[in-house]
Amino acid sequence: MKFFTFCFLIFLMLTAWSAHAFPENLKKYTISGKVTDKNDGESLVGATIFIQELKTGTTTDQYGRFSLTLPEGRYTITFSFIGYTSTSKEIDLDKDISLKMELATEQKELHEVVVKSEKSDQNVAKPEMSVFKMDIHTIQKIPALMGEVDVIKAIQLLPGVQSVSEGSSGYSVRGGAPDQNLILLDEATVYNASHLMGFFSVFNNDAVKDVKLYKGDIPANYGGRLASVLDVRMDEGDSKGFEVNGGIGIIASRITVEGPIKKDRCSFIVSGRRTYADLFLPLSSNKALQNNRLYFYDINAKINYVIDDNNTVFLSGYFGRDVFSNQFARMSWGNGTGTFRWNHVFSKKLFFNLTSVYSDYRYLLGTPTGTSNSFEWNANLKDIGIKGDFSWYINTKNTLKFGGAVTYHMINPGTASGTGSETVYTSIQVPKNYSIESGIYATNEQKIGSHFIATYGLRLSLFQSIGPGTVYHYTPNHVVIDSTVYKAGIIYNTYGGIEPRLGLLYDINGKSSVKASYARTYQYLQLAQNSSAGTPLDIWFPASPNIKPQIGDQVALGYFRNFRHNTIETSVEVYYKWMQNVIDFKNFAQLLLVDTLEGQVRTGKGYSYGVEFLVRLNEKIVSGWVSYTYSRSFRLIPEIDPNPYPAPYDKPNNISVVLNFQLAKRWSISANWVYATGAPVTFPTGRATIGGKVIPIYSDRNAYRYQDYHRLDLAVTFYSKEKPNRKFSWDLNFSVYNAYNRHNTWSINFVQDNTDPNVTYAEKVYLFGIIPSITFNFHFKHG
Amino acid sequence: MVKLFSGLFILLLAAGCTESINVNLDNSYIRLVVDGGITNDSLQRTVILSKSASYFYNQPPPMVSHAIVTLTDGSFLDTLREQLPGKPGYYMLDSTFRGVIGKTYSLDVKLSEVIGNSAEYTSTCKIMKVARLDSVQAEFNPDIGKDGHWLVKIFAQEPGDEMNFYMLKYYRNGLLISDSIQKWSTSDDKYFNGSYIRGLTAFYINNSHKWETLHPGDTLLVQMSGITKEYYDFIQQVQQAGYQIPFFSGPPANVEGNVSEGGVGFFAAYSNSYAKLVIPAK
Repeated sequence: MKFFTFCFLIFLMLTAWSAHAFPENLKKYTISGKVTDKNDGESLVGATIFIQELKTGTTTDQYGRFSLTLPEGRYTITFSFIGYTSTSKEIDLDKDISLKMELATEQKELHEVVVKSEKSDQNVAKPEMSVFKMDIHTIQKIPALMGEVDVIKAIQLLPGVQSVSEGSSGYSVRGGAPDQNLILLDEATVYNASHLMGFFSVFNNDAVKDVKLYKGDIPANYGGRLASVLDVRMDEGDSKGFEVNGGIGIIASRITVEGPIKKDRCSFIVSGRRTYADLFLPLSSNKALQNNRLYFYDINAKINYVIDDNNTVFLSGYFGRDVFSNQFARMSWGNGTGTFRWNHVFSKKLFFNLTSVYSDYRYLLGTPTGTSNSFEWNANLKDIGIKGDFSWYINTKNTLKFGGAVTYHMINPGTASGTGSETVYTSIQVPKNYSIESGIYATNEQKIGSHFIATYGLRLSLFQSIGPGTVYHYTPNHVVIDSTVYKAGIIYNTYGGIEPRLGLLYDINGKSSVKASYARTYQYLQLAQNSSAGTPLDIWFPASPNIKPQIGDQVALGYFRNFRHNTIETSVEVYYKWMQNVIDFKNFAQLLLVDTLEGQVRTGKGYSYGVEFLVRLNEKIVSGWVSYTYSRSFRLIPEIDPNPYPAPYDKPNNISVVLNFQLAKRWSISANWVYATGAPVTFPTGRATIGGKVIPIYSDRNAYRYQDYHRLDLAVTFYSKEKPNRKFSWDLNFSVYNAYNRHNTWSINFVQDNTDPNVTYAEKVYLFGIIPSITFNFHFKHG
Repeated sequence: MVKLFSGLFILLLAAGCTESINVNLDNSYIRLVVDGGITNDSLQRTVILSKSASYFYNQPPPMVSHAIVTLTDGSFLDTLREQLPGKPGYYMLDSTFRGVIGKTYSLDVKLSEVIGNSAEYTSTCKIMKVARLDSVQAEFNPDIGKDGHWLVKIFAQEPGDEMNFYMLKYYRNGLLISDSIQKWSTSDDKYFNGSYIRGLTAFYINNSHKWETLHPGDTLLVQMSGITKEYYDFIQQVQQAGYQIPFFSGPPANVEGNVSEGGVGFFAAYSNSYAKLVIPAK
């Protein structure tokens, strides 16, 4: 740890030195402030502030703030943000200036074709790559399964991202495992993002503001996962007037209420939804289905309070549960998260953000009580953490970000016990697990000359297992020989990681740029998931004396070019990724309610590579993206297969077309088409007959593939007439999932014929045929 | 419990549709398949030897004849004789043979020709003790399924000295209904080690299935066997083999038996305990 602190200090000194290495001849002043939505007062994240005279600028941070230091002079500053009318302001910079800029949304005026103002050129000019940001309005236009628009389903349509299984909320980023994605909701980790076995995600789109996916080039302020970071931000309440938004769909309804508590200063938002597919089950003629209960609900809430120009606090929370029961069993699972944040402006150049987070994921599986087989099984994972982040806009050339985070993880892998007096079951407690994960980082974004930007940073991470804890000792053949029990409070194992992050940008001509990046990431927590789609019962387990942290190294190179006033963004990225200590499980692993989970883990190496082509459109009429990805992903885990084998997410060819056509003022059409090479799979190459059953003898791991996957989804949305001062508006959405009714493979079973047991055949299981749906959304605004 | 959990999701799975498809598969090399075993009573004393085939072979398995099959427990015990001409590939012990609890038995197979990698194969298995089955009960539950289910419950004192594994089968009027490995029940004693097993449900019998359901007046015989962990794992692996449910199933893998030299299957040795019941009116 001392070594880490030392490295860190040296690093800080180096950046401080470089920050002041440039002579400052002219007098300089700072323009700082905030960019918000004129309509509802919510902060705009990633809005561009562009100085016309200097052809330079900055963007707002996650809280809509910015700071820009310039030589004394007279400037025209343009503020712009996608979907908003750009606004310019002339400024005499002869002292530090604080600005509050409100931008108004663009009207859906189809005839106003000429785009006068410069749109955001972040795709080219921002020193970050392998990043995709979407606001909720983009996501809402994507046709969705049963009309329920979903953040994760939208993410799965991006280049470099693969769905792990039809309908699943799990996704693989650039060949990584689904548990290598960090999913944050207002900075709190979401450990299981799925509702209803993954057909829906925990993110209610009415409560979400925007999402940003980092597929590589992960900024130094994030850590703990190898493959990606999905940063989901909850919407802030309208601080100017009250609003009610809602939607009624075929399987779920949702409602959101927001408004000011104190105008322009304090606002709230509460959003809830529930599915009701199960309400129709009692009508089913199938008796087995009548007694089933299957639903989920969730609630998002957020309050933000602008105390003064220098202090804003936020309190946000999420709570959701899935409930499933029938006469055999009952089950529930869900997440709860809470975030408290304090934004503080120390000076015009130094911003601070303090966040404390709480996250709890738990599940229960049980049977009805009062029988001999009655039991109940509980497991949970709880995080409590605190995080401090500083942004220091040192001068025009340097922006230093630094901070640290500490999280305490508490994992209860499982408590199972009989319930009621008649039960035959005694209780079982799998040893609980406690650990502290911490990290400190510093990263500097430095402009060198007029064409070159370098972002260089370092993250130091530390993972400590803390007592009480039980550590099993294994032979090289994974047989338990002994165990050690540690007392409460004792740190019995420590891992550390030095994680350099580097990004380079060379701006060729303002319209195109070349970027390169390198990132090393460490992962100390992983999911014991052996199946492709996973279940809510999968548990997370930490690095330990038996399990080394996973380490990932990724390099990427890209060319970025914008066309037509930045309304068309294109990019090509190539990447190569190495992974160490990646995990897989032995054949027929039993991962639930076992003390010796670690004995079933097999570790090795992984590597993946690929090229991603992306065209993103932000035209008035057409918006969306078209992407093609060629990628491969392999694992080398000698105890599973002596040769490298394709990872389950190795689907080389991938095409995504996601387009929205605003054809008239009152209606739009959306379509998406996805194509992916079939997932790798292990098939039988022989058979044996045992106990009357024909059993398969299998090929090498993942030696075959399913049929290619492709699917077209369509949606048409009608909007209500827009009238000035109209308080109520609505839209009606018709969508069709899997429009040409392709029977995409979910799994293939090898089945023995009922009448002739000598006959075997392959049977494809597919989940969805063509699924039409209709959703009515409404919006009411007062004041 | 995981089985129960899978049962929970029948609803979701019902939403999925199936269709049979053509898949082109390669052929791997031919392996020896061993299936059978011995018990501490006269119930089981047959071992079937066959060969693996291509997956869509669609004929009865090719049997392996003219092998020399011997049983040892460290020293030679007996030879299993092939039931020719009627049942090629079926090798049987003398009807007087009884296995002894606690003893480890080896089955040695010498083939007349090489199959797979070898002409000589060995399998070893220990006879574990079994909890004595005190009684069984059958309870009719009309609420489960279309026509209701029979729940067969067992009563026994679990010994509790070590990890035990059990296999359960049932007979209706003297006829084995659990006649294929798919219909066997298994349990470990993780959740009731050392306790009295007071009515654990061993079978859920679907009353819609004429071939397996019970009627008042039928004689129900339940056989409980003490088996090794390896055999317990093997049965479970065989039962799941071929099926992939993306929620639960790990990557497909070859079932792990106890036949040496890459052979497939299991030579099982186990002890039995029985309880009988005449089914009362519903």
